[in-house]
Amino acid sequence: MANHGGGAAVAQIPTSFGHELRACLRCRLVKTYDQFRESGCENCPFFQMEDDHERVVESTTPNFTGIISVMDPTRSWAARWLRIGKFVPGCYTLAVSEALPNDLQNICEEERVPYVPPKRV
Amino acid sequence: MARRRDDYAEEEDDVDYEDYDGVDGEDGEADDDYDGSGKTKRKRSRSELIDDYAEEDDDDEEEDEDDEDYGGAAGGGKRRRKAASQFFDDEALVDDDDDELEDDEDREEDFIVDDIRDEDDRRIHRRPLLPREDEREEDVEEIERRIQERYSKSLHVEYDEEATDVEQQALLPSIRDSKLWMVKCAIGREREIAVSLMQKCIDKGSELRIRSAIAIDHLKNYIYIEADKEAHVKQAIKGMRSIYPGRIMLVPIKEMTDVLSAESKSLDISRDTWVRVKIGTYNGDLAKVVDVDNVRQRVTVKVIPRIDLQALANKLEGREVPKKKGFKPPARFMSINEARYSCYKIFLFVSFILTCFPPKVDFFIYLTRDLSIRVETKRDPSSGDSFYKIEGMMFKDGFLYKNFSLKSLRTQNVKPTFDELEKFRQSGETGDGDMSCLSTLVANRKKGHFMKGDRVVVVKGDLQNLRGWVEKVEEDSVHIKPNEKGLPKTLAISDKDLCKYFRTGNHVKVVSGASEGATGMVVSVEGHMVNIVSDTTKELSRVFADNIVESSEITSGVTRIGDYELHDLVLLEDNSFGLIIRVLSDAFQVLKGVPECPEVALVMLRDIKQKIFMKIFATDQYKNTVSVKDVVKILEGPFRGKQGPVEHIYKGVLFIHDRHHLEHTGFICVTSKSCMVVGGSRSNGDRDGNTLISRFAHLRTPSCATQYPMRPPRGGPGPINNFGGRNGGGGRGLVGAAVKIRVGHYKGSKGRVVEVKGSTVRVELESQMKVVTVERSYISDNVNVSTPFRETSRYGMGSETPMPPRTPLHPCMTPLRDSMVSSPV
Repeated sequence: MANHGGGAAVAQIPTSFGHELRACLRCRLVKTYDQFRESGCENCPFFQMEDDHERVVESTTPNFTGIISVMDPTRSWAARWLRIGKFVPGCYTLAVSEALPNDLQNICEEERVPYVPPKRV
Repeated sequence: MARRRDDYAEEEDDVDYEDYDGVDGEDGEADDDYDGSGKTKRKRSRSELIDDYAEEDDDDEEEDEDDEDYGGAAGGGKRRRKAASQFFDDEALVDDDDDELEDDEDREEDFIVDDIRDEDDRRIHRRPLLPREDEREEDVEEIERRIQERYSKSLHVEYDEEATDVEQQALLPSIRDSKLWMVKCAIGREREIAVSLMQKCIDKGSELRIRSAIAIDHLKNYIYIEADKEAHVKQAIKGMRSIYPGRIMLVPIKEMTDVLSAESKSLDISRDTWVRVKIGTYNGDLAKVVDVDNVRQRVTVKVIPRIDLQALANKLEGREVPKKKGFKPPARFMSINEARYSCYKIFLFVSFILTCFPPKVDFFIYLTRDLSIRVETKRDPSSGDSFYKIEGMMFKDGFLYKNFSLKSLRTQNVKPTFDELEKFRQSGETGDGDMSCLSTLVANRKKGHFMKGDRVVVVKGDLQNLRGWVEKVEEDSVHIKPNEKGLPKTLAISDKDLCKYFRTGNHVKVVSGASEGATGMVVSVEGHMVNIVSDTTKELSRVFADNIVESSEITSGVTRIGDYELHDLVLLEDNSFGLIIRVLSDAFQVLKGVPECPEVALVMLRDIKQKIFMKIFATDQYKNTVSVKDVVKILEGPFRGKQGPVEHIYKGVLFIHDRHHLEHTGFICVTSKSCMVVGGSRSNGDRDGNTLISRFAHLRTPSCATQYPMRPPRGGPGPINNFGGRNGGGGRGLVGAAVKIRVGHYKGSKGRVVEVKGSTVRVELESQMKVVTVERSYISDNVNVSTPFRETSRYGMGSETPMPPRTPLHPCMTPLRDSMVSSPV
């Protein structure tokens, strides 16, 4: 869906479905651990996951529920509802179980990117 | 240039009225310089006004800048820095009102989440302003770019602020949004399908008209696809296996948001939480979390081991272990010595063999090492504790530390029972362990157990220690009426903060838990735990305050299971015999028939072979005959000095009931040779009184008093029969009772019970001169025979009161007794 700017960049699609699937705690993008390690998170490049294995573990989690493949985030109601309408197309999760650690939250603030911690039931 | 300077000088005054304090001097000037056309206003900082020379310098700089600007060269950082104020200048210059309006509009538009397209519109809207400065088209582009950047950024920022508050309302699906379609697919493949749709979309590009695909974890067999038209959905899934195009359903708008509401249950398990194992040999066992590994989704827990040492040894020896199906080794704490010594035998055997054929030394050692259950001491690097390692399993303090995957443990709704917690505590935990156990117990206890009228006390919060009565129970809160004056009539308190309150001396009944159905009296209260003395068994037990209610009901407990009743003499599997002294819910406590050393065994129903009915006699030390119901006194042995009626005789062993004896509910087992009959001929009033009382006491307690007046008239023949035909602890007041046969051949006839023999009864019919044998169930007795013994009443009602009515019976008894004694059974 390369209708407008942002369509060219699409997040990597997870290559397998086992335990290595992880979700980024800020943008909820779902990829495998190796994919995060390789190319980081497309929506959160400031986390710099490519550099550091620890970063990947800190900023992503294997505990998540549900998967939503967003082909067109800007025109998708579901993506808007889930607040991922501004992110690149890709596979996301509906909810993650934990919140971003504090130091990474500070990075988000510095970069002036929004972060909403998950709602606790 | 000179002209310019003059212009600036003119405008100095104007500057003063501008409130541009915050602006840097250079900035102000630069802005002005930028506006080639309308140089009516000029914003200058104070410093600029004060120092002319400085002005000049600034002017020069400005000029340079201007030149640069006019030249179209990239201003770089400076320009960027002035971007904001410069922009404001533009608008201020052109038209104040319009600018403000524009600004407002921009702001408003920010509040509404629009497509990026709207942003384009805005830009177009603004365009008419900028071209006025047609001299600097490149600048216009620069401005444009900057505006775009700034707005896109601010959009983000503003978006975030409202995201939490306004979003849910603002983003509800409208009819203009794409619809959600529910599509049936192959089970277990939902995630895969969602992702392959993504892949397909990347490959096909804009052909695919669907917007998103959603796979919900707990919804099997279906995925959701977001698209404007069903046709789009059909086209998207064409050619895909695992999706069934026949079943596409539209989700109503009202339900769209429910689809996406995922509850994020916290999957975090922390240390020291209680879990239950779901698989394997430890299925259903309580376990305590020791370590959590979130990365690999595994948890280390400690659990009471179920190890079959024998099988382990067999396996190590290489012997074939026939795997017993469904065999679960009992949960026992692992004793390291046991493990070590179980192999010791093997070791000895092997060493014996090897001494016969002396091999080389190293071979010997190798052999023994192979065969033994290796018990290694290993240190866990992370915690520093030392473990014993046997066959790959880690033990410590008797517990087994085992690694489970998160999925095989149940974390929700784990309610450890009191017994399980006791077992965990047994391994020598300190008081802290107690506290943590109890606190989790308290936290986990089931809610909704308060009833109206319960007396409660507040245990947490500001109102701690406030007592009151429950008025109303609601979902989460309980309304209580406090005891204190000065407080409102009812207070609503969360039920977690409340605890039932009992005072010592209250009579209570246990309604849930292990000792359900028991009644007793409260002797002490310790927070959530209450110590109760049971009515039936007189023993102290600890229960949760939540499990008991105040009640005046006095239960007599269970007294018979199957064929066996309390105080029956039974023959056990291993040919030993004993007296049932206590009936539990599924087993019996039996006092073994071993004189001198009292031994109590817990026996299951199936382990009892039969009841012993034999009516035998024994001889005491002085060669007197002892039979059942005789009062004897113990002359030798540890129970010397005790006396009481004989309940059973078997194989020369007497079971005597001494109500002053505190152990085993008063039963003593002795050889008949070590006793002496007290009152050799049984005309002892006291003894009679005892037995009579005991018999009457077995009846319904409240009606006991009323029974007495009834008894004496019929007492003549009645008690006589009582003495005679009593066998093996049965009877219970039935003998001599007037009954009516309600089933069988003699249905309808009345009679009197002559003797009781196990489950049959011999009844002397009133209408005929016949004694017939009928099943006990065939007769309806006026007396409630099923009411079991009540030791309390036995103790309570002394033999004094009923003495008088019985006195006239004495003369009758002696002669009849003898005749009865000799009657065959």
